Amino acid sequence: MRRLACLVFIALLPLAAVQARDLGDTLRSLKELGGQKPQSPSPQSSAAKPAKDSPDLPTIPPIGNVPEGDEIKIGRYIAGNLLGAAPLVADSALQSYVNRVGRWVASQSERPDLPWTFGVVESNDVNAFAAPGGYIFVTKGLYAMLRDEAELAGVLAHEVGHVTQRHHLKVMQQSQLVGVGSKLLTKKLGSKDDRVKALIGSGAEIMARGLDKNAEFEADRIGVVLATRAGYDSYGLPAVLQEIGHLSADTGSVALLFKTHPHPDERLVRLGDAMGTRFDGVTDGQNLPERLQRMKR
Amino acid sequence: MRELRLWILALAWLPLAAPAQEPGTALKDDVLRAEPYADAKPLGDIRKGASLTILDRATGWYQVEAGSARGWMRMLSVRRGAAGQASAAAEVGGVAALSTGRAGTGQIVSTTGVRGLSEEELKSARFDEAQLRKAEGFSVSKADAKTFAAKGPLKARKFDYLPVPQQTAGGGSEGGRR
Repeated sequence: MRRLACLVFIALLPLAAVQARDLGDTLRSLKELGGQKPQSPSPQSSAAKPAKDSPDLPTIPPIGNVPEGDEIKIGRYIAGNLLGAAPLVADSALQSYVNRVGRWVASQSERPDLPWTFGVVESNDVNAFAAPGGYIFVTKGLYAMLRDEAELAGVLAHEVGHVTQRHHLKVMQQSQLVGVGSKLLTKKLGSKDDRVKALIGSGAEIMARGLDKNAEFEADRIGVVLATRAGYDSYGLPAVLQEIGHLSADTGSVALLFKTHPHPDERLVRLGDAMGTRFDGVTDGQNLPERLQRMKR
Repeated sequence: MRELRLWILALAWLPLAAPAQEPGTALKDDVLRAEPYADAKPLGDIRKGASLTILDRATGWYQVEAGSARGWMRMLSVRRGAAGQASAAAEVGGVAALSTGRAGTGQIVSTTGVRGLSEEELKSARFDEAQLRKAEGFSVSKADAKTFAAKGPLKARKFDYLPVPQQTAGGGSEGGRR
C-alpha cells in the first residue's frame, strides 16, 4: 500500500511542478484582490515566475514555505468572503473581548506576531473558523453555549492551532494536486478570478470543505496546550466538545460542523489518550466565568 | 442584605458547577477511582459503553455513579448523555435552540433574519471589505492582551506540546486512515 502511494507520488511530481507555477500566479492574482496595496514582490513570486510555456520549470518552494505576507493575503481574502456570508455581531464590547482572549492565547504559540484577528459572527450555527494568517471567527450559536472564559480560550486555541500548523494551506496544496486536470483547463481559459477560485474555491467554500481528521485531532492537542500555557483550566475545550457531543448530527445548527469534523466523542477519546496524565499537575488553571462577556440580546 | 448578596454570589457560580445528576456514557475502558487523582485507590473497571450518572466535576475528572459504585473517572473518558441518546438539542438553549426549527434539513434557513453558514451560503459568499476592515479594527496588540490577561489573573506557564498518542483499546479503530 505504501509502495503504491509512493508510486502515485512520483507520478504526480511533474504535475506538482506545474501546479506550483499555478500557485505563484494565483498568489500574484491574490495580491491584486481585496483592495490591498500591492507589496513589493516577495522572493516567492519572483522565484515562481515561470518561463512561459516552458515545461522545465525552476524549483519552486512547496506551499509550506509560502511567505507570511502571501499567507495573510490568502487568509484576508477568505475572511472577507466568510464575513460576506455572516457579518460581525454588532457588539463592540464583545468583539474587543474576544480579541483580547484570542490574542493572549495566540501569544503562547510559535506565531505570536501574526496580525491575529478574532470575531463573533451572526449565525445560529454552532461552528468556528480559521483562515490562514490568523483570521478566526466563532459563530454566535457557539458563543452562546460557552460557560466561562476558559471554554472560549479552548475553542480559540483549537483554531489558532489550525493557523500555526498552516492546515488550510496544506489542503489547498492537496486540492491542487487532485484537481490538476481541471486546473490546467482553468488556467488556459480562465481569468485571474478563475485562478483564485481554482485555488480557494468560490466565496468561503474552503470553510465548508473541512480538513483531514488528523488535522482536527492535532488542533485539539494544540488547543489544550495553548489554553494551559495561557493560564486557563486545560479542560475548557473538552468541556465544549462534550456540550457539542450532546447535539444530534441532524440538528441543523451543527450539520456543517459534524460534516467537517470527526464526531466529538472520537475527538474526546483521541484527546484523552494524548493528554493522559500530563495535565494532572496543572491544578491552578483559571475558568473566569464572571469575565465571559455576555452577548447583547 | 448581606445574606442576599451571598446568595447572588452563589448563583453566579452555578454555571461553572458540574451538571448535577446528568446521565453519561463511558467512551472507553477506564478505571473508577476513589479520588480525582491518577494514583487514587482504584474502585473497579468501567467498560466502554457503560451507563453512568455524572454527579460532579473537579478539573479533569467527573464524579460518577456506575451501578452501585461511586467514584471519579477522567472527564475525557465520558460522554455526556445516555448511551444511544444523541439528541438533546433543546438543552443548548438560547440562541442555538432557535435554529433547530428545521432540524434534519442540514441547512438553516434564516427564519430569524440571520444569515446562515451552510455549505451553499459559504460558496456563494461575496467578499465584504467593509466588514473585514471592521473586524481588523477590533484586533488588539500583544501588549494589550497581556495586560488583559494579568487582570484575570492569568499567569502564563511553560507546557510542552503533546505527541501523537498511541491508540488505546477503547479508542476504536475508526480513527485511523479510512
